[in-house]
Parts: sequence; C-alpha cells; structure tokens
Amino acid sequence: MAINLRAVDVAVIGLGAAGGVAVLPLARAGLKVAGIEAGTWMDPHRDFHADEVYNNVRRLVSSSRKAQLECPTVRATPSQQARSAGVHPMMNAIGGTSIHYWAQSWRLKPWDFRTRSESIRRYGPNSIPTGSTLEDWPLTYDELEPYYDIIEQEVGVSGKAGNIQGRLDPEGNVFEGPRQREYPMPPLRGAGFTDHMMDAARQLGWKPFRPPAAINSQPYRGRASCVFHGYCSAGGCHVGAKNSTAITTIPGAIRTKNLTIFDKAQVTRIITDSNGDSSGRVTGVNYIRDRKEYFQPARIVMLAGYTYENSRLLLLSKSKAYPNGLSNNHGQVGRHYFGHWNSNVSALFPYDINVWYGLPAQGVTVDEWADDSFDHTGLGFIGGASLHVYTERHPIDAAAMNTYGRAPLFGSAWKKFVHENAGRVASTYLQTNTLPYETSFLDLDPEVRDPLGDPVCRITAGGVRENEQRALQHAQEKMEQWFRAAGAIEVSKPPANGPGISTHAYGGTRMGDHPETNVVDRWGFSHEVPNLGILGASVMGSSGARNPTLTLQALAWRTADHLVKNWKSLAG
Amino acid sequence: MIDRMHRTNNDPGDVSRRTLLQSAAFVPLAALTLAGQPPAQQGALTPGQMKTLVAFIDGLIPRDDLGPGAVEAGAQIYIDRVLAGPNANEKSNFVQGLEAMDAYATRVHGAALADLSVEKRDQVLNDMVDTAFFMRARRLTLEGMFSDPYYGGNKNFAGWDLIRYPGPRPAVAAQDQALNVNAKPYRVSAYGNKYGH
Repeated sequence: MAINLRAVDVAVIGLGAAGGVAVLPLARAGLKVAGIEAGTWMDPHRDFHADEVYNNVRRLVSSSRKAQLECPTVRATPSQQARSAGVHPMMNAIGGTSIHYWAQSWRLKPWDFRTRSESIRRYGPNSIPTGSTLEDWPLTYDELEPYYDIIEQEVGVSGKAGNIQGRLDPEGNVFEGPRQREYPMPPLRGAGFTDHMMDAARQLGWKPFRPPAAINSQPYRGRASCVFHGYCSAGGCHVGAKNSTAITTIPGAIRTKNLTIFDKAQVTRIITDSNGDSSGRVTGVNYIRDRKEYFQPARIVMLAGYTYENSRLLLLSKSKAYPNGLSNNHGQVGRHYFGHWNSNVSALFPYDINVWYGLPAQGVTVDEWADDSFDHTGLGFIGGASLHVYTERHPIDAAAMNTYGRAPLFGSAWKKFVHENAGRVASTYLQTNTLPYETSFLDLDPEVRDPLGDPVCRITAGGVRENEQRALQHAQEKMEQWFRAAGAIEVSKPPANGPGISTHAYGGTRMGDHPETNVVDRWGFSHEVPNLGILGASVMGSSGARNPTLTLQALAWRTADHLVKNWKSLAG
Repeated sequence: MIDRMHRTNNDPGDVSRRTLLQSAAFVPLAALTLAGQPPAQQGALTPGQMKTLVAFIDGLIPRDDLGPGAVEAGAQIYIDRVLAGPNANEKSNFVQGLEAMDAYATRVHGAALADLSVEKRDQVLNDMVDTAFFMRARRLTLEGMFSDPYYGGNKNFAGWDLIRYPGPRPAVAAQDQALNVNAKPYRVSAYGNKYGH
C-alpha cells in the first residue's frame, strides 16, 4: 500500500529542461509544488571532469541508471522485431540532460509554426509529403515570443540578435523572427577556425553568424563565464557557465520556499480519480523511493519527462476512465512521433585548424539552406537544414579519425598520418526540418520490461522519408561547398539515415486544437484530463532545423503561466 | 557504439512488483559508481594473453622515429584494467579474439603472434583488418594510448604528443584557439600530477 503524502497544488514529474523551468513561475505565484525527479543533484567537483573517457566513452555524466534500465526498443516498421536501442541518450538528474547538453538555444522560425499552410500557399498542396500528419501549430511565433524572451533572460542565453522588431542586423541571424530585444549576453567568442569559416561563408554571399547558447559569454547573475576548455559535450560545466536548470530556474524556485524536491523518486503511475467521479481528473502520482511506494496527491499534475517517458507513463496509467492509457481515449498518445534527422559532414584541411578547445556551441551557423529561407520550387522537398561548424575535439576521437583512404589503419604510416592530420579535421552538425508521419509512433513494447515489470517504450521509426532525405542531401552539398571554399582537401558526407532513438525526439503528446489528432490543447493541457499538463518536446508537432530546448522551455513556462492565470478553473 | 555499461533488459517480468520492491529493484549499477575511484589495479588477462595483446598493439602503433608506441605508452595496461572493470562483459569475446589471432598466426606462419618476425606479425594484422575483433581491439588501443594517463596508458603523454593534442587545461584563452597555431603542450592529467609520469 502506498504511503500517502501531504497534498500539494502541483506535482511536476521530472526536473529536467522542461519541468526545471516550469517550477519557477509556479513557485513564484505561491503555489505549493512537489518536484518529483528520478535522479538527484550532481556535484561539479565530484561529477564533472575534463576527461574524454569519463564523459564520452563511459558516459558517466550523461548516463543514469533509471533511464538505461528502461531504454526503449526500436524497429523500422511494424513487421520487424523491435530491439533494444542499446543506449538511452538522456539522463535522470536534477537539471536532467540540460546538465550536459550542447546548450544551443534557438528560437524556431515563424515558418516552423505554420509550415503546412505556408508550404501549401507557396508550393501547392502536393508539397506536403505523402503520409505526413503535419498540422500548423495552434500558436504562432508571435504568441511564443514573450516566453522565448523570458527563458533567454531567466536561464541566460548568449547570442546576437538578427532581427529586433523588424530591424535586421547581419551580425546576427537575419532569417530569425522578430525579437523584442537583444540577447542578455553577447555571443560566445569565435575561434580562429570558426572565424575563418565565417569569412568563407561571406565570400559565398551567405550570412553566417555566431549562434545562441545557454552558456555565459560573460559573468551572468552571479555565475562565471565559459572557459572554453573543450569538455562541454556530454560533460557538466565545472565553472557553472552552462545554464542547466539545476543552477538557474530550480534554485530560483527553491528560494521561494514553495518547491519541495523529491529526488531519487521514480514515478510509476499517474492516478485517476477512482471515486466513481466521471470528471476524469487525476488525483496525484505514485512513485517509488528507496524501495517504498508513495502517493503524492496534487490538484494539478504536470508531466515533464523526456519524450519516450511521457508517452510511456500515459500508456501505463490506465484506469476505468482511460482504459487505453491516460489521456488516450482518442488514441493519440504516442502518435506523431519523430526523431530529428541530422548528419555530420566532416572535412580535412591542409593546415592545423586547432579546434581542440572550445565547445560545440562555439561556432558559426548558416541558415540560408534551412526552413523556407530559399525557394524550393522544383526541388521536391520542403524544409532544409541549418549548417553549424564548431570547436571541441577530444584526443581519442581525433586519433580514431577517418583516414580518407590516405593511410592504412595501423603501423608507422598511420602514426605519421595522425601526427600530421588529427588536428586538421572539422566536424559539423546539420539539423533538418523534420515532420511527423502516420507510420512513426511510440507504444509499449509487448516483451521488454523494466525491473519493475513495466513495458519499456517501443519506437517504430517508420520507413524512408524522401522529403527529409532530399533536404539533408541538399544541405550536405551546401556544406561541402562551404568547406571547399574554406580550403578543405577532403570532405566526407555520410549517407542520410533517419534516426532511431534520439536526443531530439518529438511528439507522442502533440499540441493542437483538435482532440482527434492531438493530446494537449494550445496551452499544453490535456484535451481529455482537465488537470493534467504536459511539458517537453513531446508536444511539438514539427522540429524546425535546430535544437529543441529553448522552444520546449518557452512552451513549459507558458503552460505554467497559463495555469497560474487560470488556477481556479483548472484546479477545480 | 554499444555502451558497455548498459545492461540489456530482457527480463520477462515474471518477478512480481512486490518482490522487486522488497529486494533487488534498486541494485546499484556498479559501472556508474566507478566515478572518482582510482582505476582497478588488478588486471583481467593472463600472462599468455597479455603477451599476445602486447604483440598486437606493438604492430598497431609501433615505436618509430615519431616516438613511443602503444606498448611504451602502456595501452595494454589500460586494456587489461578496463576488461577487469567497466568492460568486463566483453572480456570473454576479447580473449577469444586474441586466441583466434594466435591460432591464425600459427596456422599461416607456424608460430604465435608474439613469436613472429615484425614483417609476419604485420601481415597477420593486415589479414585481420576487416574483422570486428581488429576494429574493437584497435579502438581499445586508441583509448589506452590517447586517454588521460589516469587510466594507465598515455605514459609521459606520448599519445597526446603524437597527435599534437595540447592537453586539458583549466581555462583556454583566445590565442590558444588561433588558426594554424596549436597551444603550447600542457602535460598535466585532469586528475593532477600524480598521473602521467
């Protein structure tokens, strides 16, 4: 029998990138909040090291027990047997994956919110890929803009505005939507190589810029600025310059004394009213901590796990009112799932590019070939990809470099090759506008279970996506053109393959006005369960050509803000 | 990359929730708690297996006029330790691979890998270059040679010097990121001066 705890106003499941920001406006408004998190605090001195084996080989910062033990299974199509994805790419901790992410903090473009109607308007109805379930978002960029601004200030984002209220500035991204004001910090400094790439892009007539990041380029709100030491990717920041929610919004919420954190607490079910009440309201959550089971009653529940866990927990939380899983009476939980298509084009230069240090967010981005920045007439796809060149290279990874057919894989000839070339390789990150399709979805695996006996999430990735594949190939060609203009002597373009398990996983609880095709409404509250909010990229109906975190944080703050403003009607 | 720490989880779930709650649901995941502990000193390989491994990695990264090879850098120490610790679940595969390599060397050249001439040893490596074992053993050798010396390899920073990696340092100035000019080598382990020499 679960131990009953004292009731709170809001129970937030998961204190990562999304839940970790939502607790701040809730707590500031005076609501009593329980933050229930499967992980715990990380300690910069103990847990964060400038060590490739620790961060990148053993993944000791970015990996955690609970996530690994419920690692999803993956299959391409329903006719295949799903197999364990091997590694869950996300983690449990206070701050979650925002502790070790790249911290690239983008706003989506106005076009991303209206991709369907804008594509039909410009290119005709056949431009929407066959089988895609794409809808316009139920809100516009302009409606989300104030919340983007709040997150940029509260979390702390460095960058250079390219469009302030319609005034364009070529030092920033001129393709972005209008912003009300400049970023709170200037962009991270460039490195010699990224400055060189910026010059090369300008020579091509493109408009490169230093991209935004939730990393301090100067001291910000009492936290230090970045030291560029080269162990940011999959590592925590030892000086506190990477603005995870663990050091920004969560401490802010704690200071109000209205947030209580229950760490090492694994939520197993969201509980629906069982008093014969037909309202279909949730009453709280069950969780396990130190082998004991607790029931945390709450007037509002906010589900803020990662995309795979959000769908899984809903599907596991069956009740009389929701026999197919919570908020799933329309069969939409798990639908409209997709992983972000991306690729890495790498290049070899005939001189030392010296990108050992820095961080993936220190770089240069080109947006000419993303979104609808260019005319797609006759190209056979919509969308595109952002092109991002960056710093930070680790020694094992550098020694394991592609030899481009110029050297054998061992012996003195190989030694000579890596001696000369290990410091001459550039990496990129190309992120594609990715859409939802009928044949990509999440459900519960019929065979594989976690140690509690609950099924893990099963990913059905769907087949080949011609639209995304063409968009990515187009972008890879542009990336090669850019590298060649900068003097690269070899360029490697790996084939565009759709993702299985992903750090950029979207959908499953999509946001939209129609309950027949969406799980949450335009405010992030369930269409079916009046006091259940859902936070995270699981509500996003398209990806944009950029990292999701800032957008899901802006949406999370907006959902929390909506709750505060409508407390009486939502809390019942 | 397969994560070696990851426990695949095909338990059919016949153990009841209650039993799990009372017993083993929260066994610590040993590999995840290795953080901060000194690397294991007890190795995984027998002297015979170590002899084959040393011959193999000496062929992979030999000593030459560019400096020390993998053996001098201690990559075998790294491999021996990880196979006893975080990579223990691949130890039997790895040992089978070493044995298969010796069997091949004996069949084709009449002696175990460690007893062949350099030319014949390199021929064996060349014959194996497309195998999964070769690529896995090569990967572990690179980890040993180019990781922080805290883990037992990269002695005297031989690996980092080979690829001209200037080493982790507390803070990096703009001039340390200039194009075409590598920063001055900073030969210090992330875990202090106790390691690397």
